[in-house]
Amino acid sequence: MPKHDVAVIGIGQTKYRSKRRDVNIPEMIYEAVKMALDDAQLSPQDIDAILIGNMDHFEGINFSEMWTGVEAAPGYMKPVMKVATGGTTGSSLAICGYHYVASGIYKNVLVVGWEKLNEGGATTGIITAFDPVWERPSLAGALGPLALMASMYQDKYGATPEQAAKVTVKNRRNAANNPFAHLQMPDITVDYVMSSQMISYPLRLHDCCPQSEGACALIYANKEEAKKITDNPAWFKALETAHYYTFGTDDAMYDLPTATIASKKAYKKAGITNPIKDLDVAEIYEPTSWSELAWTEALGFAKFGEGGKLLDEGITEMSGELPVNPSGGVLSTNPIGATALIRVAEAATQVMDRGEKRQVPDVENALAMGFGGSLWTEILILGKEPMR
Amino acid sequence: MSKQKEKLFEIKWKTDLPYRYSIGKLSVKFFEELKENKKLLGSKCPKCGKVYFPPRTVCAECFIKMDVNNLVELDKKGTLHGFTVVNYPFVDPQTGGLRPFPYGYALFKLDGADTFTMHFVDETDYTKLKVGMRVEAVFKDEREGNIGDIIYFKVIREVQKP
Repeated sequence: MPKHDVAVIGIGQTKYRSKRRDVNIPEMIYEAVKMALDDAQLSPQDIDAILIGNMDHFEGINFSEMWTGVEAAPGYMKPVMKVATGGTTGSSLAICGYHYVASGIYKNVLVVGWEKLNEGGATTGIITAFDPVWERPSLAGALGPLALMASMYQDKYGATPEQAAKVTVKNRRNAANNPFAHLQMPDITVDYVMSSQMISYPLRLHDCCPQSEGACALIYANKEEAKKITDNPAWFKALETAHYYTFGTDDAMYDLPTATIASKKAYKKAGITNPIKDLDVAEIYEPTSWSELAWTEALGFAKFGEGGKLLDEGITEMSGELPVNPSGGVLSTNPIGATALIRVAEAATQVMDRGEKRQVPDVENALAMGFGGSLWTEILILGKEPMR
Repeated sequence: MSKQKEKLFEIKWKTDLPYRYSIGKLSVKFFEELKENKKLLGSKCPKCGKVYFPPRTVCAECFIKMDVNNLVELDKKGTLHGFTVVNYPFVDPQTGGLRPFPYGYALFKLDGADTFTMHFVDETDYTKLKVGMRVEAVFKDEREGNIGDIIYFKVIREVQKP
């Protein structure tokens, strides 16, 4: 058992966009960090340690600690650790930060993840994350394998492009309620998604996430420190990681076994027996519309093959039994090193009842998911009460 | 507020970044056999019997180290499980130029392997591809000892449900 309960007590996010040419990396990070510090009414001097996360080679830089750890993160005279685990970078950051405070080593930490994808190219950068001899020659970044996954899923269960399009429509309409979201499309329709360009069958342009630039920062504290700052923190109740295999295509992705393994463990720890009923909101990592169909099944929100029903029956809509991605999700915003941390930030926002137009009523338990690497999943559950 | 577009300030350069990777003994053997004999090798875990393709040095579940004696020859044919036609532009980090597209790209299992693998397929019309089709490796005549020696997997139009 952890020595200390850990809560999110401060949140900062930039407005995500395709390009932030008005700022460099430290300037962009500063925006999110300053907002999180102001939110927690803390100054950099009050923070014990910093965790930063970024897939630095996507921007063609290395050792991003040097770029920003000291000034903007703010790591001046503090311990700074970097985490880089691909798509899960943000959730790995969130989990490492938790361990720092839960262990009793630090009373509080600041975690910040970011990406400035327009400075490189997401597909090119992602290819360089994979094996140079075996994988890079045919790999087309993340979308190629995600398209393979979607074609397998479609063949196995007969899910339709309409059901996939409904995911994009739901998430991008939700994004219109989130002031930080990149693609806000309140009037998007199923027809619009289904008539967009086929970029990698069965993925059409609007079945896919954008490339975004932005940063997300969270401040955590133990119970004693949290009490001094807020009476409305978001507590961590369960955190799980599941990894397997070396190569991205060693296994079929559509049923994402790591999501099933990690979520089952997390549900057990958080006392969740029926995720649809016991969770109040979920912020999942859906790089494509088809991923949400399939991976909501892996998370136990629907039986295998019935992810489309969640859309057809409106279960995952804002007004449904378990709203999925009120923020607009990854389909609306994807600054890779921040993306999974945004899931945690948004889950915390919901628990704190601070979501304004995107707020789900009466949130007791919120799930956040990170996906990346070669089929890795990380699951975090946040709630109004700490871990039992 | 002026609506005039701000002039972009840019400093441009181009960088070549050469790397030399150690690929391990199993991969060396694989590429030698591919080049000399058009053979495809996988590695078989001596404990659980799982066959990895591409060959792997350590079995994930058993944490057992495999060496060249654990390499087994696999069939040149496999079964298609997932497919796509990549139809978007991106810079190929292998060349620094745009990767030519569209190209057929598929997930399949070679006969005798337990892991999936991916490679190019020779079909760029997705309406002509179906899960369950058989595929077969097509090799270059002048092979160099890299994965490009398998030009693509040729789609054979007989459907077998996996």
